Amino acid sequence: MTTIGGLVQNEVEENTLGVVAHDRRKARSPLRIPVFASSRIIDENAGSLGTAFLGFGAMIVCVIIAVFSLGKFTVQWERYASPAMEVFAWLLYAVLLVSVLVVIRRNDDRLSDRMFVGYTLGLLTVVALDLGAIWPLHDVSGTATAAIAAGVGVLAMVGVRPLRQVLATAMIFGALLLIADLVDGNVQADHLAGTLAMLSQAVLPAVIGCFILRSFRRMVTLELDRVLVQSTVSAPRYAVGMLASEELARLDLAAEQLLEGVSSGRTPLPLDARVAQTAASLATELRLHLIEGRRETWLYHAISESELLGPAVTLSDPNSLAGLLDPRQRDGLLSAIWLLVSESGVKVVGTDRTARVTLGPSDREAGAGPMRKLLVPIVIQTSGVARNRVDPGTWDAIRKVGKHADSVVDGSLRLEVECVVENPADA
Amino acid sequence: MEMLTRLDPARRVPTSSRAAYHPEIMERIVKERDRLIQRSARTIGLAGTAVALICLALPGAVDPPMLVLLVPLFAAIAFALYRMGQSRSILWVVIAVVGGSLAILTLHLGNVGALYPITGTLASPTGLSDSAVEAIRMLSAWVIASVGIVLTISLGRMIVLAGAFLVSLIVTAVALSGTVTAALSIAILFAGWTIAVVIGSLLATGVLRAARRITNIGRAHRTERQASETEAQRRQGARLLHDTVLATLTLLAHSGVGVSSSALKHQAADDARLLRQLRLGGTPSPKSSGDYTLQKPTSESVLGNTLENVKQRFGRMGLAVSWHGTGQVLLPSDVLDAFLGSLAECLENVRRHAGVAEAHVTITDDDTTIRAMVTDSGVGFDIAAIGDQRLGFKESVLARLREVGGNARVFSAPGSGTTVVLEVPR
Repeated sequence: MTTIGGLVQNEVEENTLGVVAHDRRKARSPLRIPVFASSRIIDENAGSLGTAFLGFGAMIVCVIIAVFSLGKFTVQWERYASPAMEVFAWLLYAVLLVSVLVVIRRNDDRLSDRMFVGYTLGLLTVVALDLGAIWPLHDVSGTATAAIAAGVGVLAMVGVRPLRQVLATAMIFGALLLIADLVDGNVQADHLAGTLAMLSQAVLPAVIGCFILRSFRRMVTLELDRVLVQSTVSAPRYAVGMLASEELARLDLAAEQLLEGVSSGRTPLPLDARVAQTAASLATELRLHLIEGRRETWLYHAISESELLGPAVTLSDPNSLAGLLDPRQRDGLLSAIWLLVSESGVKVVGTDRTARVTLGPSDREAGAGPMRKLLVPIVIQTSGVARNRVDPGTWDAIRKVGKHADSVVDGSLRLEVECVVENPADA
Repeated sequence: MEMLTRLDPARRVPTSSRAAYHPEIMERIVKERDRLIQRSARTIGLAGTAVALICLALPGAVDPPMLVLLVPLFAAIAFALYRMGQSRSILWVVIAVVGGSLAILTLHLGNVGALYPITGTLASPTGLSDSAVEAIRMLSAWVIASVGIVLTISLGRMIVLAGAFLVSLIVTAVALSGTVTAALSIAILFAGWTIAVVIGSLLATGVLRAARRITNIGRAHRTERQASETEAQRRQGARLLHDTVLATLTLLAHSGVGVSSSALKHQAADDARLLRQLRLGGTPSPKSSGDYTLQKPTSESVLGNTLENVKQRFGRMGLAVSWHGTGQVLLPSDVLDAFLGSLAECLENVRRHAGVAEAHVTITDDDTTIRAMVTDSGVGFDIAAIGDQRLGFKESVLARLREVGGNARVFSAPGSGTTVVLEVPR
């Protein structure tokens, strides 16, 4: 009973479909985040979306630097008091690198917590062995080899572990090497460059790797979001939308479970107040969902389903005119909005790009004759979008929608488009 | 270097995924790819520039006048790298390479005393300081090499890449010739450039792979959207089903008070089953499903049977009911329930109060309404004196009918029988 109550309660709290377009911002409670298809898909396809590939690339970089360090080790072979220790460090390193590669491949591009800790401890052992071997030389920065390779080895995890962990691990290795170099009994100003070179070799690859991977993930997220939203372009004039239809399915399921509980006697009658309340909210939500008027235009769905557009774009289309646009015009409009809102090129600090899209009222007919067309005026008022910072692709996109005029209001671009559509009365 | 010849992702795309891309999508992907590559190159290059500059700023690295000469060069390199992160223009690449090479040459010339007229520094008797050597390595193998990242995406750029590599190689060789670690420095240079090329190619390939995957996901998503739309319409279309579910939920919302718990359980079971059928892809509807119990609109035979049942029940209790008019009406079940319930209630009143053994029920219907006239020739009553409350009329008949949009009227006078007209909308 509790489970049903809890489950149903959740559904109701999360539901936002009673919310109209201009109230969309309010609907963005943290609970709703997983609803975005792009986040979900990225979670599901983490490996195949290129991160695994880049992780593999990081491994290659790792190997190159390791081979280089190995070369350095063989060159200074004569200087070691106990080369066996150093050899062991390198063997261990090689084993670690190969096994982490195999584990990641086998494990569907994932590295479990235990493996992560094991690998990190292994790398730390490599550092300890290397430092032990070169300690008598009193020149950590000049002679460290496997320890540097171990620091770079962190890079191998860049595609499979949260970036913060990778960064933190890299920092730990950097700190260890720095401390070791400072206490090795040979601190001179002229040696600081060597220290710096060592640290940048050991730590920077992982740090930069994290940065690149972050940019890459961001790009993938945006592209995915865009592609997912793009599918609205071919939607019918009015549609229920992915969110609403999922929501309806969930409500139906919740109702089914509640009724099932009642009929099987698991939920005793008369119902306690909480479950009764749940039933009431469920009925209300269901009722709302079943009203025909809840169908919205593709543009509404595109904006509300998009992780990027959702928070940035406000749509005002009281007569649902967006539904009249043909796929080409829709594509153009969506691209234009997208390009206006997404940050490209220079980031303007402190100003979030937003857009208010207004369609209609359509009070004129375009042209005369038997094939009367309807004129839908579209106004896109942006904020934080400078005229000269607009991606050139925007103009190509807007041209697909119709004749346009642009002006600058409050330092931000304003687009007025005259979009000619088929008159639904003639259709 | 042989790596360069086989890596040309831009050219490879059309062969590996023919027809997968719309030209515009391709254009956008290429733009995204270039942006990512450029930004990565910028980050790497700037990080290296910072490290190299710090090396030179360390005490004893170079003489202060040399540093004054080098700082503007570094600024130029940093600016070029920064711009390289934003634009595809090859100009910034060239400036970065030239700036980096000039910085190395400046260090070299300062070292051999050639810059004496400008800096007042004589040739160093001990050669380059360790820090300066580190800085040169950093510049050649990291800062200049970082441009290699953006130079793998087309054949023309690869030619620039080869040129940039040669320049940095020559400059480094000149600057570090004679130092004991020259071989090591050259090895570092090769490693740095190799890594740059690897990063550039991998990023390019990675982006295209991801793009391909994204396109596929997008295509799947479009199908999913269509399916979801159909599904939503199917669910919304199961209107009658949802009506009964909503009715039951509303009952439950009142904790099921006033309804026998076994009836409620039974109802809940029926509704849950219908919802399950809906979920599993069925379309439980009155026409196709015999399980559709609650909202089953009365078929002709059912109505006839129901009326017959009522007649037989009252017959057993000693009241003969005669039916007149049509018995062939289709009603939604809740209306039918109210209608039949009220009718039975009226007949019960006749049986108990009228003092006769016979009642007539006439059923008529028009486009909007179904009417039942219950007539008896019994004792009748004074409506004003008795009122309808006493007969339970108000709750059991009037309220019930009004709930479904119907109404009831009573006509009676003492000694002249009673007529009750029941109306429900059809």
